[in-house]
Amino acid sequence: MNQKHIQHLYWRVGFGILPTELENISKKSKKEVVDNLFQISKKITPLEVDVSDLEELFGGSFDTIKANRNQIQKLSREKTLELNVAWIDRLTYPKELLREKMTLFWANHFVCEDNNYIYTQNFHNTLRQYALGNFKDFVMAISKEAAMTKYLNTKQNKKQKPNENFARELMELFTLGVGNYTEEDIKESARAFTGYGHNFEGDFVFRQRQHDEGVKTFFGKTGAFNGDDIINIILNERQCAKYICGKLYRYFVNDTINDEHVNQMTNVFYKDYDIENIMRFILLSDWFYDEKNIGTKIKSPMELLVGMRNVVPVDFKNAKQLLNIQKLLGQILLNPPNVAGWKGGRNWIDSNTIVLRLKLPSLLLNHAYISKAVSGTTDRFLETKKAIFKKQFGKRFNTVPDWNVFNAVFKNVDVDDLETLILACKMNDGASRYLGALSKVSKQEYCVQLMSLPEYQMC
Amino acid sequence: MNRRKFLKQSSLATSLFFVPSFVKAFEQVASKTLGYKRLVIIQLSGGNDGLNTVIPFRNDLYYKERPTLGIAKNDIIKLNDEVGFNNSLAPLKRLYDNSNVSIINNVGYPNPNRSHFRSMDIWQTATDSIKYSQSGWIGRYLDYYGKHPHSAIEIDDSLSLAMKGETLNAIATQDSRAFYNLSKDPYFKNIHKHQNDAHLSEHNLGYLYKSLIAAESSAKYIYETSKTVSSNKAYPNNAFSKQLKTTAQFINSGLETKVFYLSLGGFDTHYNQQGRQDKLLATYAEGIEVFVHDLKDSNSFKDTLILTFSEFGRRVKQNASIGTDHGTANNIFIIGDQLKKPGLYNNMASLSDLDDNGDLKFEIDFRTIYATVLDKWLEVDDRKILNKSFNQLSFI
Repeated sequence: MNQKHIQHLYWRVGFGILPTELENISKKSKKEVVDNLFQISKKITPLEVDVSDLEELFGGSFDTIKANRNQIQKLSREKTLELNVAWIDRLTYPKELLREKMTLFWANHFVCEDNNYIYTQNFHNTLRQYALGNFKDFVMAISKEAAMTKYLNTKQNKKQKPNENFARELMELFTLGVGNYTEEDIKESARAFTGYGHNFEGDFVFRQRQHDEGVKTFFGKTGAFNGDDIINIILNERQCAKYICGKLYRYFVNDTINDEHVNQMTNVFYKDYDIENIMRFILLSDWFYDEKNIGTKIKSPMELLVGMRNVVPVDFKNAKQLLNIQKLLGQILLNPPNVAGWKGGRNWIDSNTIVLRLKLPSLLLNHAYISKAVSGTTDRFLETKKAIFKKQFGKRFNTVPDWNVFNAVFKNVDVDDLETLILACKMNDGASRYLGALSKVSKQEYCVQLMSLPEYQMC
Repeated sequence: MNRRKFLKQSSLATSLFFVPSFVKAFEQVASKTLGYKRLVIIQLSGGNDGLNTVIPFRNDLYYKERPTLGIAKNDIIKLNDEVGFNNSLAPLKRLYDNSNVSIINNVGYPNPNRSHFRSMDIWQTATDSIKYSQSGWIGRYLDYYGKHPHSAIEIDDSLSLAMKGETLNAIATQDSRAFYNLSKDPYFKNIHKHQNDAHLSEHNLGYLYKSLIAAESSAKYIYETSKTVSSNKAYPNNAFSKQLKTTAQFINSGLETKVFYLSLGGFDTHYNQQGRQDKLLATYAEGIEVFVHDLKDSNSFKDTLILTFSEFGRRVKQNASIGTDHGTANNIFIIGDQLKKPGLYNNMASLSDLDDNGDLKFEIDFRTIYATVLDKWLEVDDRKILNKSFNQLSFI
């Protein structure tokens, strides 16, 4: 498989690829490479942090739990931060690469947030479990997650007093897209989801007495539907397959929809709603590797951060700083803006984020230093400037980059080949001329220069 | 043709005689004398207890529902025979007596949401409470009417959803010098100095270059414009007053920014409310008073409108921890120099006609206030920004 295509594939289903691995798989065919991605993602490894102290607070009667409420909330916040960091580490060193990238995708599709850590973790791992599974099972599982029944008020949805929040968003955001259902559909389906709840541990509980057993009319069908019936009827609509395929296309292929490609995808997905099948179809299609799809997407903050850590491992000594960087970049994992999620694409970029994004590699990896030594000279200020920054701001950017790993991985790479390995798109002429006029002080400094270009924001 | 445009064009016509710096100086004078209306939004995060802020001290129900948390009549700064301010609001009372404050009571929205997160989201996006939006109301103002990213500034490190548009986002900065320093690495300047791509906004990479250039220019403009002015007022020593001081500096330097966004957090008073709320209200009022005087001294208060809100008020009945739980409708403050109806804009909320949760039933939709401010103060089409038409109020 052509190297450029492998890089493209790995940027979209992962966070880039290192030269050592690139060389290994470039001898394989496209089919082999893609098959391998699915093979390594077969396994499901839940992401969990130690919750024994939290479970202890949960044990006992309703009254003891109520008394522990403040402590549970405080501990939940700490654990959520722990999961946030663990998730980013998982993304940086993933075993099931495609599954992990899909989990990240679904987390911005089935958007949810909760202040109870146990429910947050359960929800998070449900995303991972179904990431490449069957979409129908996925939606049904999501509808029964404790975190979701809280987030969109299904818990408060009772026979006597229906709450339409979940029913509405199920159709608007999770399955059909806005405008593809009526207000009457929302009312009727809300009745079908009455009685949903959970116990303290977060397991789904169906409260029969609060469930509306009556006959509902939904999408022209009439029956004593329950929630699963509603999901079945929704998925019968081709629009549902089309909506999900459009979203997958924008995430994995191009911000701008190509109707013909999405139509092909819809034909495949509508048959069985098998996520693995549709992903295989995308990654094996010729158009996925079209020139206009390569290096033309703007990286999400996670793609930027994790991609960078992939090239140069960097350890955050202070978890709060990692959290703050996510805040400044506009994407805090496990803390979405609302159920509509992050808009993505150009919306990641504004005056604050563009400046920080360009500065971030040098800040985290190189004591804020970007070499500007002119060609033919040595960079005399390099060490002193780095030392000054370290002294002044070292505490605010308490990160330890491991350049040894970089040096080992890129050992056999010629410095002139670094550009094509670090950047996913061609360099703008102006940038190219400027960099050409600078001295390539070392592979490390050159890597930081490349990462400080707008081009490095592309994948 | 407006005056500014006229000046620009006539200066072009006679460019032989006008040096550009002179034009610029002249323009600044012109913009000052013509007035440049600005909106300052202050968000009280956590849900401020409106009933202990503006207190109905003649209402027996108030004391009945709040046997220990209710504030005694003689601890209240009276506004009239029935309503008074929390004692911590003495500085605000002085502005009130000067006709610079309007209190709009019982502001909320249909189907109230009692989650901080969601209710703040509703206030910031200005959508119906059953809808979700990925853009905020000031962001959409920028989309349609903002000339630069710095047309709206949030005094913080990162942007709230309120400040994010569909296509344009505001700028977040607490420290214009730090922002400028971050943006001005010569490496970045050199990267785009030689680029001559005419199709910058058509593709994503071009969009990044364009955003970089705009960011550098805004950072430089904000820093260099605002550094010419410094305040000699003694602001209280806290983070909120620091935001106010920065805002005053931005305004008094003539920065062409229409909207400023500030916030003060900590109002989620579920237990031992009184001491904590009093302290926060004092922080708010003391800071605001200095801020208003700072603007008055520079003759910019007349062109500034300050809107203070919180995501919800709190439950009428106090809870077992001598605090209050999340509620619904609340009062908001409008502070300015040209108020049509200073004082209490409308009646206090009824404490007898409550909803099923024991919360106030709102009377005024917060979006009617936004619509009024957009139309009458910022002079733009409020329906475009709010995606709906709202009846306007007459406080300005």
